[in-house]
Amino acid sequence: MEQNYLQKLKESVKYIESRLDGLRPAFGLILGSGLGDLAEQVEHPVRIPYGDIPHFPRSTVAGHAGRLVAGELEGKPVIVMQGRFHYYEGYSLKSVVFPVYAMKLLGVGGLVITNAAGGMNRAFRPGDLMLIRDHLNMTGGNPLVGPNDEELGVRFPDMSEVYSREYRQLAHRVASGILLENGRPLTLREGVYCGISGPSYCTPAELIMLARLGGDAVGMSTVAEAIAARHAGLKVLGISCITDMAVGEELEPLTHEQVVAVADRTKPVFAALVKAFLREI
Amino acid sequence: MSKDMLRRVEEAAGHLRGVLPELPDIVLVLGSGLGHLADRIERPTIVPYKEIPHFPVSTVSGHAGEIVSGKLRGRNVIAMKGRIHLYEGYDAQTVAFPIRVMRELGAKRLLITNASGGINPSFRAGDLMLIRDQINFMFRNPLIGPNADQFGERFPDMSEPYDKRLRGLALRVAAGKGIVLREGVYAGVLGPSYETPAEIRMLRTLGADAVGMSTVPEVIAARHAGMNVLGISCITNMAAGILGRPLSHAEVTETAGKVRHTFSELLLGIIPEM
Repeated sequence: MEQNYLQKLKESVKYIESRLDGLRPAFGLILGSGLGDLAEQVEHPVRIPYGDIPHFPRSTVAGHAGRLVAGELEGKPVIVMQGRFHYYEGYSLKSVVFPVYAMKLLGVGGLVITNAAGGMNRAFRPGDLMLIRDHLNMTGGNPLVGPNDEELGVRFPDMSEVYSREYRQLAHRVASGILLENGRPLTLREGVYCGISGPSYCTPAELIMLARLGGDAVGMSTVAEAIAARHAGLKVLGISCITDMAVGEELEPLTHEQVVAVADRTKPVFAALVKAFLREI
Repeated sequence: MSKDMLRRVEEAAGHLRGVLPELPDIVLVLGSGLGHLADRIERPTIVPYKEIPHFPVSTVSGHAGEIVSGKLRGRNVIAMKGRIHLYEGYDAQTVAFPIRVMRELGAKRLLITNASGGINPSFRAGDLMLIRDQINFMFRNPLIGPNADQFGERFPDMSEPYDKRLRGLALRVAAGKGIVLREGVYAGVLGPSYETPAEIRMLRTLGADAVGMSTVPEVIAARHAGMNVLGISCITNMAAGILGRPLSHAEVTETAGKVRHTFSELLLGIIPEM
Protein backbone atom coordinates (compact mmCIF):
# COMPACT_ATOMS: atom_id res chain seq x y z
CA MET A 1 0.00 0.00 0.00
CA GLU A 2 1.40 3.38 -0.91
CA GLN A 3 3.06 4.96 2.08
CA ASN A 4 0.59 7.80 2.52
CA TYR A 5 -2.63 5.89 1.76
CA LEU A 6 -3.37 5.42 5.43
CA GLN A 7 -2.44 9.02 6.11
CA LYS A 8 -4.84 10.20 3.42
CA LEU A 9 -7.55 7.94 4.79
CA LYS A 10 -7.12 9.39 8.23
CA GLU A 11 -7.37 12.93 6.88
CA SER A 12 -10.53 12.05 4.95
CA VAL A 13 -12.04 10.41 8.01
CA LYS A 14 -11.14 13.34 10.22
CA TYR A 15 -12.96 15.67 7.84
CA ILE A 16 -16.02 13.40 7.59
CA GLU A 17 -16.15 13.08 11.38
CA SER A 18 -16.05 16.85 11.70
CA ARG A 19 -19.26 16.98 9.66
CA LEU A 20 -21.10 14.17 11.45
CA ASP A 21 -21.81 15.95 14.72
CA GLY A 22 -21.05 12.92 16.87
CA LEU A 23 -22.89 10.36 14.75
CA ARG A 24 -21.05 7.01 14.71
CA PRO A 25 -22.24 5.04 11.68
CA ALA A 26 -22.42 1.30 12.31
CA PHE A 27 -23.51 0.28 8.82
CA GLY A 28 -22.29 1.36 5.43
CA LEU A 29 -24.25 1.22 2.19
CA ILE A 30 -22.86 1.45 -1.31
CA LEU A 31 -25.66 2.19 -3.75
CA GLY A 32 -25.32 1.12 -7.34
CA SER A 33 -26.71 2.35 -10.68
CA GLY A 34 -30.23 3.67 -10.31
CA LEU A 35 -30.48 2.60 -6.67
CA GLY A 36 -29.20 5.82 -5.13
CA ASP A 37 -32.67 7.05 -4.10
CA LEU A 38 -32.51 5.07 -0.90
CA ALA A 39 -30.15 7.75 0.37
CA GLU A 40 -33.07 10.21 0.24
CA GLN A 41 -34.83 8.19 2.93
CA VAL A 42 -32.04 8.66 5.46
CA GLU A 43 -33.34 10.63 8.44
CA HIS A 44 -31.47 13.62 9.87
CA PRO A 45 -29.19 13.43 6.88
CA VAL A 46 -25.77 15.00 6.69
CA ARG A 47 -24.84 15.23 3.02
CA ILE A 48 -21.19 15.50 2.13
CA PRO A 49 -20.31 15.82 -1.57
CA TYR A 50 -17.26 13.73 -2.43
CA GLY A 51 -15.62 16.88 -3.73
CA ASP A 52 -15.60 18.35 -0.20
CA ILE A 53 -13.70 15.46 1.32
CA PRO A 54 -9.91 15.65 1.21
CA HIS A 55 -8.36 12.87 -0.96
CA PHE A 56 -11.76 11.39 -1.87
CA PRO A 57 -12.11 10.32 -5.50
CA ARG A 58 -14.99 11.78 -7.54
CA SER A 59 -17.59 9.89 -9.56
CA THR A 60 -17.85 10.62 -13.28
CA VAL A 61 -20.68 8.36 -14.49
CA ALA A 62 -24.21 9.68 -15.10
CA GLY A 63 -26.75 8.39 -12.57
CA HIS A 64 -24.22 8.43 -9.74
CA ALA A 65 -24.74 11.49 -7.57
CA GLY A 66 -21.46 11.44 -5.75
CA ARG A 67 -21.88 12.13 -2.07
CA LEU A 68 -21.93 10.58 1.35
CA VAL A 69 -25.19 10.70 3.25
CA ALA A 70 -25.00 9.94 6.96
CA GLY A 71 -27.90 9.69 9.35
CA GLU A 72 -30.42 7.12 10.50
CA LEU A 73 -32.24 4.48 8.53
CA GLU A 74 -34.72 2.29 10.41
CA GLY A 75 -33.19 3.52 13.62
CA LYS A 76 -29.67 2.41 12.70
CA PRO A 77 -26.80 4.86 12.26
CA VAL A 78 -25.70 4.56 8.64
CA ILE A 79 -23.39 6.12 6.15
CA VAL A 80 -24.41 5.81 2.52
CA MET A 81 -22.32 6.18 -0.61
CA GLN A 82 -24.70 7.70 -3.11
CA GLY A 83 -22.64 6.98 -6.20
CA ARG A 84 -19.48 4.93 -6.27
CA PHE A 85 -16.19 4.72 -8.13
CA HIS A 86 -15.56 2.24 -10.88
CA TYR A 87 -12.37 0.74 -12.25
CA TYR A 88 -13.56 1.54 -15.78
CA GLU A 89 -13.61 5.23 -15.01
CA GLY A 90 -9.85 5.03 -14.84
CA TYR A 91 -9.44 4.99 -11.08
CA SER A 92 -6.93 2.65 -9.56
CA LEU A 93 -8.53 -0.11 -7.52
CA LYS A 94 -6.89 1.54 -4.48
CA SER A 95 -9.05 4.61 -5.18
CA VAL A 96 -12.13 2.50 -5.84
CA VAL A 97 -11.91 0.98 -2.36
CA PHE A 98 -10.77 4.12 -0.54
CA PRO A 99 -14.29 4.84 0.78
CA VAL A 100 -14.60 1.30 2.14
CA TYR A 101 -11.58 1.81 4.37
CA ALA A 102 -12.86 5.26 5.28
CA MET A 103 -16.11 3.66 6.47
CA LYS A 104 -14.15 1.12 8.47
CA LEU A 105 -12.19 3.88 10.19
CA LEU A 106 -15.46 5.72 10.89
CA GLY A 107 -16.59 2.70 12.91
CA VAL A 108 -18.66 0.80 10.36
CA GLY A 109 -18.84 -2.95 11.05
CA GLY A 110 -21.26 -4.12 8.36
CA LEU A 111 -21.43 -3.12 4.72
CA VAL A 112 -24.29 -3.49 2.25
CA ILE A 113 -22.97 -3.41 -1.31
CA THR A 114 -25.48 -3.12 -4.13
CA ASN A 115 -25.20 -3.09 -7.87
CA ALA A 116 -27.03 -3.43 -11.14
CA ALA A 117 -26.05 -6.64 -12.89
CA GLY A 118 -26.80 -8.68 -15.96
CA GLY A 119 -28.43 -12.04 -15.29
CA MET A 120 -26.53 -14.97 -16.77
CA ASN A 121 -28.56 -17.59 -14.97
CA ARG A 122 -31.50 -18.48 -17.24
CA ALA A 123 -33.86 -18.81 -14.28
CA PHE A 124 -33.48 -15.10 -13.53
CA ARG A 125 -35.73 -12.30 -14.79
CA PRO A 126 -35.06 -8.57 -15.11
CA GLY A 127 -36.17 -6.95 -11.89
CA ASP A 128 -35.06 -9.90 -9.74
CA LEU A 129 -32.96 -9.23 -6.69
CA MET A 130 -30.03 -11.59 -6.17
CA LEU A 131 -28.12 -12.03 -2.96
CA ILE A 132 -24.47 -12.44 -3.80
CA ARG A 133 -23.31 -15.76 -2.38
CA ASP A 134 -19.79 -15.49 -3.78
CA HIS A 135 -17.88 -13.75 -6.53
CA LEU A 136 -15.44 -14.35 -9.36
CA ASN A 137 -12.86 -11.62 -9.71
CA MET A 138 -12.39 -11.32 -13.46
CA THR A 139 -11.30 -7.68 -13.38
CA GLY A 140 -7.65 -8.56 -13.81
CA GLY A 141 -6.77 -6.48 -10.77
CA ASN A 142 -6.87 -6.64 -7.01
CA PRO A 143 -7.14 -3.63 -4.68
CA LEU A 144 -4.64 -5.18 -2.26
CA VAL A 145 -1.75 -5.33 -4.73
CA GLY A 146 1.14 -3.31 -3.36
CA PRO A 147 2.73 -3.17 0.08
CA ASN A 148 0.29 -4.16 2.80
CA ASP A 149 -0.63 -1.96 5.72
CA GLU A 150 -1.13 -4.20 8.75
CA GLU A 151 -3.15 -1.47 10.40
CA LEU A 152 -5.87 -2.11 7.81
CA GLY A 153 -5.67 -5.90 7.49
CA VAL A 154 -3.48 -8.96 6.91
CA ARG A 155 -1.28 -9.55 3.85
CA PHE A 156 -3.20 -12.61 2.62
CA PRO A 157 -6.81 -12.23 3.70
CA ASP A 158 -9.07 -15.24 3.59
CA MET A 159 -11.92 -15.03 1.07
CA SER A 160 -13.73 -18.23 1.91
CA GLU A 161 -16.84 -16.34 3.04
CA VAL A 162 -16.79 -12.88 1.50
CA TYR A 163 -20.54 -12.46 1.74
CA SER A 164 -21.64 -13.24 5.27
CA ARG A 165 -23.78 -16.35 5.56
CA GLU A 166 -25.52 -14.86 8.56
CA TYR A 167 -26.39 -11.67 6.65
CA ARG A 168 -27.69 -13.72 3.73
CA GLN A 169 -29.92 -15.79 5.99
CA LEU A 170 -31.31 -12.64 7.57
CA ALA A 171 -31.93 -11.07 4.16
CA HIS A 172 -33.90 -14.13 3.01
CA ARG A 173 -35.94 -14.04 6.21
CA VAL A 174 -36.85 -10.36 6.01
CA ALA A 175 -37.61 -10.66 2.29
CA SER A 176 -40.40 -13.14 2.98
CA GLY A 177 -42.12 -10.42 5.01
CA ILE A 178 -42.17 -7.98 2.09
CA LEU A 179 -45.27 -8.20 -0.09
CA LEU A 180 -45.03 -7.43 -3.80
CA GLU A 181 -47.74 -5.69 -5.88
CA ASN A 182 -49.13 -9.10 -6.86
CA GLY A 183 -49.58 -9.91 -3.20
CA ARG A 184 -46.82 -12.51 -3.09
CA PRO A 185 -43.87 -12.31 -0.73
CA LEU A 186 -40.53 -11.21 -2.14
CA THR A 187 -38.26 -14.11 -3.04
CA LEU A 188 -34.58 -13.42 -3.40
CA ARG A 189 -32.36 -15.17 -5.88
CA GLU A 190 -28.93 -16.20 -4.77
CA GLY A 191 -25.84 -16.60 -6.92
CA VAL A 192 -22.28 -15.91 -7.93
CA TYR A 193 -21.46 -12.38 -9.09
CA CYS A 194 -18.83 -12.10 -11.75
CA GLY A 195 -16.92 -8.82 -11.64
CA ILE A 196 -15.39 -7.58 -14.91
CA SER A 197 -13.55 -4.34 -15.58
CA GLY A 198 -15.86 -3.07 -18.35
CA PRO A 199 -16.82 -0.54 -19.56
CA SER A 200 -17.74 -2.45 -22.69
CA TYR A 201 -20.44 -4.97 -22.01
CA CYS A 202 -19.56 -8.63 -22.45
CA THR A 203 -19.70 -10.34 -25.83
CA PRO A 204 -21.95 -13.40 -26.18
CA ALA A 205 -18.85 -15.64 -26.15
CA GLU A 206 -17.63 -14.01 -22.96
CA LEU A 207 -21.01 -14.46 -21.28
CA ILE A 208 -21.12 -18.12 -22.25
CA MET A 209 -17.64 -18.52 -20.81
CA LEU A 210 -18.51 -16.76 -17.55
CA ALA A 211 -21.69 -18.79 -17.15
CA ARG A 212 -19.71 -22.00 -17.64
CA LEU A 213 -17.23 -20.81 -15.05
CA GLY A 214 -20.00 -20.61 -12.50
CA GLY A 215 -21.23 -17.03 -12.73
CA ASP A 216 -24.93 -16.21 -12.28
CA ALA A 217 -24.71 -12.46 -12.78
CA VAL A 218 -22.17 -10.08 -14.26
CA GLY A 219 -21.29 -6.48 -13.50
CA MET A 220 -18.56 -3.87 -13.30
CA SER A 221 -18.34 -3.16 -9.60
CA THR A 222 -18.55 -4.68 -6.12
CA VAL A 223 -15.70 -7.22 -6.25
CA ALA A 224 -12.91 -4.81 -5.31
CA GLU A 225 -15.04 -3.21 -2.58
CA ALA A 226 -15.93 -6.61 -1.14
CA ILE A 227 -12.26 -7.73 -1.12
CA ALA A 228 -11.24 -4.54 0.68
CA ALA A 229 -14.13 -4.87 3.12
CA ARG A 230 -13.07 -8.40 4.05
CA HIS A 231 -9.45 -7.25 4.31
CA ALA A 232 -10.67 -4.64 6.79
CA GLY A 233 -12.79 -7.20 8.66
CA LEU A 234 -16.22 -5.85 7.67
CA LYS A 235 -19.18 -8.17 7.26
CA VAL A 236 -20.67 -7.88 3.82
CA LEU A 237 -24.15 -8.21 2.33
CA GLY A 238 -24.18 -8.05 -1.46
CA ILE A 239 -27.35 -7.42 -3.45
CA SER A 240 -27.53 -7.38 -7.24
CA CYS A 241 -30.49 -5.92 -9.04
CA ILE A 242 -30.81 -7.97 -12.22
CA THR A 243 -31.48 -5.20 -14.70
CA ASP A 244 -31.14 -7.20 -17.91
CA MET A 245 -30.59 -10.72 -19.12
CA ALA A 246 -27.02 -11.50 -20.12
CA VAL A 247 -27.40 -14.99 -21.55
CA GLY A 248 -24.75 -15.39 -24.24
CA GLU A 249 -26.84 -17.51 -26.57
CA GLU A 250 -29.74 -15.02 -26.57
CA LEU A 251 -28.03 -11.67 -26.15
CA GLU A 252 -29.76 -8.54 -27.37
CA PRO A 253 -28.28 -5.04 -27.65
CA LEU A 254 -28.22 -3.23 -24.31
CA THR A 255 -28.04 0.41 -23.32
CA HIS A 256 -27.25 1.99 -19.96
CA GLU A 257 -30.73 3.63 -20.12
CA GLN A 258 -32.38 0.20 -20.09
CA VAL A 259 -30.34 -0.75 -17.05
CA VAL A 260 -31.39 2.42 -15.23
CA ALA A 261 -35.06 1.95 -16.24
CA VAL A 262 -35.26 -1.54 -14.72
CA ALA A 263 -33.31 -0.45 -11.64
CA ASP A 264 -35.85 2.39 -11.34
CA ARG A 265 -38.80 -0.01 -11.41
CA THR A 266 -37.17 -2.26 -8.84
CA LYS A 267 -36.20 0.57 -6.52
CA PRO A 268 -39.15 0.37 -4.10
CA VAL A 269 -38.72 -3.36 -3.47
CA PHE A 270 -34.97 -2.97 -3.20
CA ALA A 271 -35.36 -0.11 -0.70
CA ALA A 272 -37.86 -2.13 1.32
CA LEU A 273 -35.42 -5.03 1.47
CA VAL A 274 -32.46 -2.99 2.63
CA LYS A 275 -34.58 -1.19 5.22
CA ALA A 276 -36.06 -4.42 6.56
CA PHE A 277 -32.56 -5.87 6.80
CA LEU A 278 -31.33 -2.86 8.78
CA ARG A 279 -34.39 -2.93 11.00
CA GLU A 280 -33.87 -6.56 11.98
CA ILE A 281 -30.14 -6.67 12.33
CA MET B 1 12.06 -5.44 -22.55
CA SER B 2 13.29 -1.91 -22.88
CA LYS B 3 16.94 -1.04 -23.54
CA ASP B 4 17.03 0.35 -20.05
CA MET B 5 15.86 -2.95 -18.57
CA LEU B 6 18.50 -4.78 -20.57
CA ARG B 7 21.18 -2.46 -19.24
CA ARG B 8 19.97 -3.11 -15.70
CA VAL B 9 20.11 -6.87 -16.25
CA GLU B 10 23.69 -6.53 -17.49
CA GLU B 11 24.71 -4.34 -14.56
CA ALA B 12 23.21 -6.74 -12.01
CA ALA B 13 24.88 -9.71 -13.71
CA GLY B 14 28.15 -7.78 -13.89
CA HIS B 15 28.06 -7.18 -10.16
CA LEU B 16 27.43 -10.86 -9.44
CA ARG B 17 30.24 -11.94 -11.79
CA GLY B 18 32.52 -9.80 -9.70
CA VAL B 19 31.57 -11.40 -6.38
CA LEU B 20 30.82 -15.04 -7.25
CA PRO B 21 33.81 -17.42 -7.35
CA GLU B 22 31.99 -19.67 -9.83
CA LEU B 23 29.13 -19.09 -12.22
CA PRO B 24 25.93 -21.10 -11.69
CA ASP B 25 24.44 -23.85 -13.87
CA ILE B 26 21.24 -24.23 -11.91
CA VAL B 27 18.99 -21.55 -10.46
CA LEU B 28 16.94 -22.47 -7.41
CA VAL B 29 13.93 -20.32 -6.68
CA LEU B 30 12.68 -21.20 -3.22
CA GLY B 31 9.13 -20.35 -2.20
CA SER B 32 7.34 -19.49 1.04
CA GLY B 33 8.85 -21.38 3.95
CA LEU B 34 11.10 -23.43 1.64
CA GLY B 35 14.24 -21.30 1.76
CA HIS B 36 16.10 -23.70 4.06
CA LEU B 37 17.59 -25.66 1.15
CA ALA B 38 19.86 -22.70 0.55
CA ASP B 39 21.44 -23.42 3.94
CA ARG B 40 22.76 -26.74 2.58
CA ILE B 41 24.84 -25.04 -0.09
CA GLU B 42 28.55 -25.66 0.42
CA ARG B 43 31.15 -22.89 0.36
CA PRO B 44 28.33 -20.38 0.03
CA THR B 45 28.67 -16.86 -1.21
CA ILE B 46 25.77 -14.84 0.15
CA VAL B 47 24.67 -11.66 -1.53
CA PRO B 48 21.69 -9.72 -0.17
CA TYR B 49 19.38 -8.56 -2.96
CA LYS B 50 19.81 -5.00 -1.85
CA GLU B 51 23.53 -5.10 -2.69
CA ILE B 52 22.83 -6.12 -6.30
CA PRO B 53 22.22 -3.13 -8.55
CA HIS B 54 18.57 -2.82 -9.67
CA PHE B 55 17.60 -6.08 -7.93
CA PRO B 56 14.03 -5.92 -6.59
CA VAL B 57 13.68 -6.47 -2.86
CA SER B 58 10.90 -8.62 -1.38
CA THR B 59 8.54 -7.05 1.15
CA VAL B 60 6.59 -10.07 2.43
CA SER B 61 7.53 -11.69 5.72
CA GLY B 62 9.04 -15.16 5.36
CA HIS B 63 10.91 -14.18 2.20
CA ALA B 64 14.48 -13.41 3.22
CA GLY B 65 15.85 -11.71 0.12
CA GLU B 66 19.34 -12.97 -0.58
CA ILE B 67 21.24 -14.95 -3.12
CA VAL B 68 23.23 -17.96 -1.98
CA SER B 69 25.67 -19.35 -4.49
CA GLY B 70 27.95 -22.35 -4.22
CA LYS B 71 28.04 -26.12 -4.57
CA LEU B 72 25.13 -28.45 -3.95
CA ARG B 73 25.74 -32.16 -4.60
CA GLY B 74 28.58 -31.24 -6.90
CA ARG B 75 26.67 -28.76 -9.01
CA ASN B 76 27.13 -25.02 -9.24
CA VAL B 77 23.88 -23.58 -8.00
CA ILE B 78 22.56 -20.18 -7.20
CA ALA B 79 19.59 -20.01 -4.87
CA MET B 80 17.19 -17.13 -4.65
CA LYS B 81 16.17 -17.20 -1.06
CA GLY B 82 13.00 -15.19 -1.13
CA ARG B 83 11.36 -13.89 -4.25
CA ILE B 84 9.21 -10.99 -5.25
CA HIS B 85 5.61 -11.23 -6.28
CA LEU B 86 3.18 -9.38 -8.49
CA TYR B 87 0.91 -8.79 -5.51
CA GLU B 88 3.62 -6.73 -3.86
CA GLY B 89 3.01 -4.19 -6.59
CA TYR B 90 5.92 -5.08 -8.90
CA ASP B 91 5.21 -5.42 -12.58
CA ALA B 92 5.77 -8.76 -14.29
CA GLN B 93 9.03 -7.61 -15.92
CA THR B 94 10.46 -6.80 -12.52
CA VAL B 95 9.34 -10.15 -11.12
CA ALA B 96 11.14 -11.85 -14.01
CA PHE B 97 14.23 -9.65 -13.66
CA PRO B 98 16.25 -12.02 -11.43
CA ILE B 99 15.68 -14.91 -13.85
CA ARG B 100 17.14 -12.85 -16.65
CA VAL B 101 20.10 -11.90 -14.53
CA MET B 102 20.77 -15.59 -13.83
CA ARG B 103 20.42 -16.44 -17.50
CA GLU B 104 22.86 -13.66 -18.29
CA LEU B 105 25.26 -15.36 -15.85
CA GLY B 106 24.96 -18.53 -17.90
CA ALA B 107 22.50 -20.63 -15.89
CA LYS B 108 20.53 -22.99 -18.12
CA ARG B 109 18.32 -24.80 -15.61
CA LEU B 110 15.65 -23.44 -13.32
CA LEU B 111 14.35 -25.40 -10.36
CA ILE B 112 11.42 -23.41 -9.06
CA THR B 113 9.33 -24.18 -6.00
CA ASN B 114 6.32 -22.63 -4.37
CA ALA B 115 3.68 -23.05 -1.74
CA SER B 116 0.26 -23.53 -3.26
CA GLY B 117 -3.31 -24.34 -2.43
CA GLY B 118 -4.63 -27.74 -3.47
CA ILE B 119 -7.61 -27.71 -5.83
CA ASN B 120 -7.51 -31.35 -6.91
CA PRO B 121 -9.69 -33.07 -4.30
CA SER B 122 -7.36 -36.06 -4.10
CA PHE B 123 -4.57 -33.82 -2.80
CA ARG B 124 -3.83 -33.31 0.89
CA ALA B 125 -1.99 -30.55 2.70
CA GLY B 126 1.65 -31.56 2.81
CA ASP B 127 1.65 -33.23 -0.61
CA LEU B 128 4.34 -32.35 -3.13
CA MET B 129 3.20 -31.72 -6.68
CA LEU B 130 5.34 -31.83 -9.79
CA ILE B 131 4.13 -29.03 -12.04
CA ARG B 132 3.24 -30.50 -15.43
CA ASP B 133 1.88 -27.30 -16.90
CA GLN B 134 0.64 -23.89 -15.85
CA ILE B 135 -2.29 -21.55 -16.41
CA ASN B 136 -1.51 -17.87 -16.45
CA PHE B 137 -4.48 -16.37 -14.63
CA MET B 138 -2.57 -13.30 -13.50
CA PHE B 139 -3.64 -11.03 -16.37
CA ARG B 140 0.05 -10.12 -16.74
CA ASN B 141 2.93 -11.30 -18.90
CA PRO B 142 6.60 -10.44 -18.32
CA LEU B 143 7.28 -10.33 -22.06
CA ILE B 144 4.95 -7.41 -22.78
CA GLY B 145 6.90 -4.55 -24.30
CA PRO B 146 9.74 -4.49 -26.82
CA ASN B 147 11.29 -7.93 -27.16
CA ALA B 148 14.82 -8.55 -25.91
CA ASP B 149 16.13 -10.49 -28.89
CA GLN B 150 19.33 -11.46 -27.10
CA PHE B 151 17.23 -13.47 -24.65
CA GLY B 152 14.65 -15.01 -26.88
CA GLU B 153 12.12 -14.57 -29.62
CA ARG B 154 9.08 -12.35 -29.79
CA PHE B 155 6.57 -15.20 -29.60
CA PRO B 156 8.09 -17.95 -27.47
CA ASP B 157 6.60 -21.41 -27.59
CA MET B 158 4.93 -22.56 -24.37
CA SER B 159 4.04 -26.09 -25.41
CA GLU B 160 6.36 -27.54 -22.79
CA PRO B 161 6.98 -24.95 -20.08
CA TYR B 162 8.11 -27.66 -17.66
CA ASP B 163 10.79 -29.84 -19.20
CA LYS B 164 9.74 -33.40 -19.88
CA ARG B 165 13.16 -34.92 -19.15
CA LEU B 166 13.40 -33.08 -15.85
CA ARG B 167 9.89 -34.18 -14.90
CA GLY B 168 10.82 -37.77 -15.62
CA LEU B 169 13.92 -37.32 -13.51
CA ALA B 170 11.92 -35.90 -10.61
CA LEU B 171 9.45 -38.78 -10.69
CA ARG B 172 12.29 -41.32 -10.80
CA VAL B 173 14.10 -39.75 -7.88
CA ALA B 174 10.87 -39.52 -5.87
CA ALA B 175 10.07 -43.17 -6.54
CA GLY B 176 13.58 -44.20 -5.56
CA LYS B 177 13.28 -42.39 -2.24
CA GLY B 178 9.74 -43.50 -1.55
CA ILE B 179 8.44 -39.94 -1.74
CA VAL B 180 4.90 -39.49 -3.07
CA LEU B 181 5.03 -36.93 -5.83
CA ARG B 182 1.73 -35.77 -7.29
CA GLU B 183 1.56 -34.24 -10.72
CA GLY B 184 -0.65 -31.45 -11.94
CA VAL B 185 -1.37 -28.05 -13.40
CA TYR B 186 -0.46 -24.92 -11.46
CA ALA B 187 -2.74 -21.89 -11.86
CA GLY B 188 -1.00 -18.60 -11.14
CA VAL B 189 -3.26 -15.86 -9.78
CA LEU B 190 -2.51 -12.27 -8.88
CA GLY B 191 -3.51 -12.33 -5.18
CA PRO B 192 -2.87 -11.20 -2.50
CA SER B 193 -6.36 -12.02 -1.25
CA TYR B 194 -6.92 -15.76 -1.29
CA GLU B 195 -9.37 -17.08 -3.84
CA THR B 196 -13.08 -17.38 -3.13
CA PRO B 197 -14.74 -20.84 -3.23
CA ALA B 198 -16.42 -19.83 -6.52
CA GLU B 199 -13.03 -18.94 -7.98
CA ILE B 200 -11.60 -22.28 -6.90
CA ARG B 201 -14.50 -24.13 -8.56
CA MET B 202 -13.83 -22.05 -11.68
CA LEU B 203 -10.12 -22.89 -11.68
CA ARG B 204 -10.96 -26.55 -11.22
CA THR B 205 -13.30 -26.37 -14.24
CA LEU B 206 -10.44 -24.79 -16.17
CA GLY B 207 -8.14 -27.69 -15.41
CA ALA B 208 -6.06 -26.49 -12.47
CA ASP B 209 -4.85 -28.83 -9.72
CA ALA B 210 -3.18 -26.21 -7.53
CA VAL B 211 -3.22 -22.43 -7.21
CA GLY B 212 -0.65 -19.91 -6.10
CA MET B 213 0.57 -16.35 -6.50
CA SER B 214 3.99 -16.87 -8.04
CA THR B 215 6.06 -18.94 -10.50
CA VAL B 216 4.18 -18.20 -13.73
CA PRO B 217 6.03 -14.98 -14.70
CA GLU B 218 9.42 -16.49 -13.83
CA VAL B 219 8.74 -19.60 -15.88
CA ILE B 220 7.59 -17.59 -18.89
CA ALA B 221 10.77 -15.51 -18.74
CA ALA B 222 12.91 -18.62 -18.27
CA ARG B 223 11.37 -20.38 -21.26
CA HIS B 224 11.70 -17.23 -23.32
CA ALA B 225 15.41 -17.33 -22.54
CA GLY B 226 15.66 -21.02 -23.39
CA MET B 227 16.09 -22.37 -19.87
CA ASN B 228 14.84 -25.83 -18.92
CA VAL B 229 12.45 -25.63 -16.02
CA LEU B 230 11.47 -28.01 -13.26
CA GLY B 231 8.69 -26.84 -10.95
CA ILE B 232 7.51 -28.37 -7.69
CA SER B 233 4.66 -27.11 -5.53
CA CYS B 234 4.27 -27.83 -1.89
CA ILE B 235 0.52 -28.13 -1.28
CA THR B 236 0.44 -26.22 1.99
CA ASN B 237 -3.32 -26.06 2.36
CA MET B 238 -6.46 -27.04 0.53
CA ALA B 239 -7.90 -24.11 -1.42
CA ALA B 240 -10.99 -22.15 -0.35
CA GLY B 241 -14.26 -24.03 -0.16
CA ILE B 242 -12.74 -27.51 -0.24
CA LEU B 243 -12.49 -28.05 3.50
CA GLY B 244 -14.96 -25.28 4.39
CA ARG B 245 -12.71 -23.34 6.72
CA PRO B 246 -10.78 -20.08 6.49
CA LEU B 247 -7.26 -19.90 5.08
CA SER B 248 -4.31 -18.27 6.76
CA HIS B 249 -0.72 -17.59 5.85
CA ALA B 250 0.32 -19.17 9.16
CA GLU B 251 -1.08 -22.51 7.92
CA VAL B 252 0.99 -22.17 4.75
CA THR B 253 4.30 -21.65 6.54
CA GLU B 254 3.44 -24.31 9.12
CA THR B 255 2.81 -27.01 6.50
CA ALA B 256 5.85 -25.96 4.50
CA GLY B 257 7.87 -26.36 7.70
CA LYS B 258 6.56 -29.89 8.25
CA VAL B 259 7.53 -31.18 4.82
CA ARG B 260 10.83 -29.31 4.51
CA HIS B 261 12.89 -32.42 5.17
CA THR B 262 11.13 -34.51 2.49
CA PHE B 263 11.22 -31.60 0.09
CA SER B 264 14.96 -31.10 0.59
CA GLU B 265 15.62 -34.82 0.14
CA LEU B 266 13.76 -34.80 -3.15
CA LEU B 267 15.50 -31.71 -4.49
CA LEU B 268 18.92 -32.94 -3.38
CA GLY B 269 18.29 -36.17 -5.25
CA ILE B 270 17.29 -34.32 -8.41
CA ILE B 271 19.96 -31.64 -8.57
CA PRO B 272 23.00 -33.81 -9.44
CA GLU B 273 21.28 -35.05 -12.60
CA MET B 274 19.66 -31.83 -13.71
